[in-house]
Amino acid sequence: MNSKFYRRVFIGSIGGGLASATLIPVLHQDLLSTFLGIALGIAYSLAVVESRETFVDRLTSGAAIGILLWGLVSVIAMPVLSGETPHWDAEQMRAYFPALIGWVFYGASLGVLVKATDALAVFLFGVQAEPETRRPEATTHILILGGGFAGMRTAASLEEEFRADRSVAITLVSETNALLFTPMLAEVAGGSLEASHISTPLRSVLHRTVFIRGGVTEIDLDRRIVKVAGRELSYDHMVLALGAVSNYFGMPNIEKLAANFKTLLDAIRIRNHIIEMFERADREMESSARAPLLTFVVAGGGFAGVELAGAINDFAHGILADYPSLRPGELQTILVHSGNRILPELSESLARYAQQKMEARGVQFLLNKRLKDAQPGLAVLGDATIATETLVWTAGTAPHPLLKSLQLERDKRGAVVVDSTMAVPSRPGLWALGDCAALTDARTGKPCPPTAQFALREAETLARNLYATLNGQRAEHFHFDSLGALCVVGFQTACAELTLPLFRSRRVRFSGLLAWLMWRGIYLSKLPGLERKIRVLIDWTIELFFPRDIVQTIDLK
Amino acid sequence: MPALTTIAHRLTFGDALTGLVLGIIGGSAAGVALAVSISESSILGGVFGTVFGLFFAKRATNPGAGLIWGLSFAFLGWLMLIAKPFQSANMFHGARDRFPELVGVLVCLGSPVGIGLGLRGRRLRETRKSEFSWARALAGGGFAGTLSSLIFSQWMYEGNFFPLVAGLELGSRSATVLSHFLMALLIGATFGLLFQSDVFSYGSSMGWGLAYGVFWWFFGQITVLPMVAHRRPDWSAHRGSELFGSLVGHIIYGLILGVVYAIVDRVWVRLMIESDPLNREREGPGFRFLRSLRWGAVAGLSGGLVSSPLMLATGIFPRTAGLGSSLSTLVGFLLHLLISVFLGMSYGLLFRHEAPSAGWGALWGSSFGLIWWYLGPMTLLPLILTGECDWSTDAASKLLPSLVGHLVYGAVMALTFFLFEHHYATQILADPRTAAREMRRIRPVGTPAPALWLFALGLGVLLPILLGG
Repeated sequence: MNSKFYRRVFIGSIGGGLASATLIPVLHQDLLSTFLGIALGIAYSLAVVESRETFVDRLTSGAAIGILLWGLVSVIAMPVLSGETPHWDAEQMRAYFPALIGWVFYGASLGVLVKATDALAVFLFGVQAEPETRRPEATTHILILGGGFAGMRTAASLEEEFRADRSVAITLVSETNALLFTPMLAEVAGGSLEASHISTPLRSVLHRTVFIRGGVTEIDLDRRIVKVAGRELSYDHMVLALGAVSNYFGMPNIEKLAANFKTLLDAIRIRNHIIEMFERADREMESSARAPLLTFVVAGGGFAGVELAGAINDFAHGILADYPSLRPGELQTILVHSGNRILPELSESLARYAQQKMEARGVQFLLNKRLKDAQPGLAVLGDATIATETLVWTAGTAPHPLLKSLQLERDKRGAVVVDSTMAVPSRPGLWALGDCAALTDARTGKPCPPTAQFALREAETLARNLYATLNGQRAEHFHFDSLGALCVVGFQTACAELTLPLFRSRRVRFSGLLAWLMWRGIYLSKLPGLERKIRVLIDWTIELFFPRDIVQTIDLK
Repeated sequence: MPALTTIAHRLTFGDALTGLVLGIIGGSAAGVALAVSISESSILGGVFGTVFGLFFAKRATNPGAGLIWGLSFAFLGWLMLIAKPFQSANMFHGARDRFPELVGVLVCLGSPVGIGLGLRGRRLRETRKSEFSWARALAGGGFAGTLSSLIFSQWMYEGNFFPLVAGLELGSRSATVLSHFLMALLIGATFGLLFQSDVFSYGSSMGWGLAYGVFWWFFGQITVLPMVAHRRPDWSAHRGSELFGSLVGHIIYGLILGVVYAIVDRVWVRLMIESDPLNREREGPGFRFLRSLRWGAVAGLSGGLVSSPLMLATGIFPRTAGLGSSLSTLVGFLLHLLISVFLGMSYGLLFRHEAPSAGWGALWGSSFGLIWWYLGPMTLLPLILTGECDWSTDAASKLLPSLVGHLVYGAVMALTFFLFEHHYATQILADPRTAAREMRRIRPVGTPAPALWLFALGLGVLLPILLGG
């Protein structure tokens, strides 16, 4: 409670006390009228603090408030408190008519008298200083590296936690200026969605976070300085949310020749490359020369690989009509996976269902096969080769290589080891979360999977922990029960495995059109920004009626 | 500074003088209409005009603002008349007997003095003059008026009841229909001209529509239309009771006009002004759409929960939503909460940025509750349940108890919504890019909102009680 509060209480009690004289004829009880008048005056003074209102503003608004008070006090409260059962028929309401007039006058006089008392207080004691006019310099700097789900949500949650507290400065550094909504990335590669529609500018979603687009070149943990694009940024607390990059397991040819599938540009390149292959195949007269052009190989049978294979298959078949010299039989979409089934994140039954559906649509699966090498025009498996000009790698990820330069404990994957509050042990002020952190669930003891679902919850918890740390409170241990998983496997077909809200150990599995609708509905609701939602909805609607676009938007030479 | 003081003194003197002259003229007219001493009524009118000019003229920055302030002050003045003797057992009947004076002060004093000083205020004071657009006002208001009349009159045709021209016996149906539409067009166009500067959100526009509808009932229905029909206006409470259905019709029309005009105006601004890259805001529509719906739902639920104990005590739940007594208490309670949530969500969409303080929020909320009393129990519910709406005084009398409940529900709901908005505002106002936009969108001090609350709430509550007797 500050002095402004007490001043308002004082003003309200004086104004209300004086105005209570008009209540006596209404309530017929001097003491009650005075007490109620003062109490209402205090409430009024606290509720209506706008000092630029004139006397006539207060006169009329006060009179209007009197009507509301008539209803609350004379019509409802007093009969109820006197033990009567309210019978509000028309006759009774008309009996309250004089009280209505009385309350209007009370309200009018309250408004004027509080304003007058306010003016007197200003005359005697001066204007009350507004705390918002004091803008302190930031004393605590929080620096977040990485603008993905984890980094963006951390910044947004910190803004909610600290609100207008200017003593805490928040800075976000990211190599891209937008948050990429990765669940929809396959649809960009498959030509269903426009690229920019699944990205939300970080400057738009964040309000007082300072945003710097640039790559981090050096991190000095001892001096607490980070170098970005020629600038040095100091920090008091740093959050590592650098995410993950593709892991090629020491296979340089694959790294050089395979397309990546992590960024928006990767998805745009894949789409344009497929169109390029079609254009070249259309020029090619020899069918043997066409085959590798129209063979698309995806390495990796997890969510990303499966969704991408399905999207590429649908896109390739969808644009075939624009290339009459090409035949459907010449198209091949092949998914190579080292395991004995795809989608290890889902149950076996759903994985088998997904495979059957995709095979029915023309996707071929090479299971228990591992991509060993790549040559120009060739994908090399352990015991076979596939002639292809299109190879996409989704078979492994690793934490951001920048972490290797830090003297921190890491797990075998290369992720930074953190405790259950996401603090890096023995490095006060250093935090990590998301794909680049090895975080263990505090309740289950299991490693937290590197998914967007977990990244968002980790970010919210981390923001609370930062707030708690800066305020000398205890940090929270992270726990989250997965809500489930959804995976699109083809046209209007998806697999869903959901956790029931009150029965965490039970899962509901279903597939088909319903799962696909659920996938679209849930991810549309999660996509940041109403404008983006509308754009994606329009894209999906256009897709229902028109064929996919075959315009090449970038030059791949 | 001395020059400014001189200008201020000149303005105040000019306002007082203008008010005096208009007040004397209005007082004389009222004296003639009320068949009382013209000298006395002129003097009272002069006093009214002078006081208005001295204290209220600063707020009458345009004719619309002047009208609302004038009506509000006139209403307050009438309340002072009927308050003597105070707390008399005959106060209610005394007020009914003085109903003609209410009409007189509103029509002959409040409106002309207010509009007159508002015109003067526009010429001398209005700081946002450049924002006023005649085309936007006339086209938007005229279109909104016509469309509202179409929407509004669909079911009126079947009942052969045209509230905007009720009591005007024109002989032929086609003449009545034409008059109804012309009246609607006139009200709509003048709405745009008068209130373009003061309309912020859809909700506040409905508030202005309600007030304007009440004014047109006094001015048009009770005063001008009889004169057009070569009859002496009857300002008695009895006549008011006979035309009560027309009053509700004017209010409903005003509500529809208000929201339609706000939509048309918003579309105009969005397409013609805000789409210009030079005027482009940082965020487009929908920035807080979903949030407002969420906040409104929670706010509505809180209002519903607060009013529930009272409804339980009075045994109203089985009759929730006018469904006779067929519901169990539990079902009625749940239905009441569902309706509360829906109303809360509509408040969240309609009244964003209207309440910079809790007090303002409570008053907008009560106004919203009043709007829904006329829209819901008086109009939509009987229409949905029985196919007819009964705007008689008997029907209104039976619904009087729920009127207070609607006011209280609205206030609690709006206070809860204000807490959400205020909490969020402290966060986004930390961003200077958003802060400027938010400041532009929040209703500033200096608009006629306080006067609107008194006039709309005051007469909206008082007339059903007064005329139902």
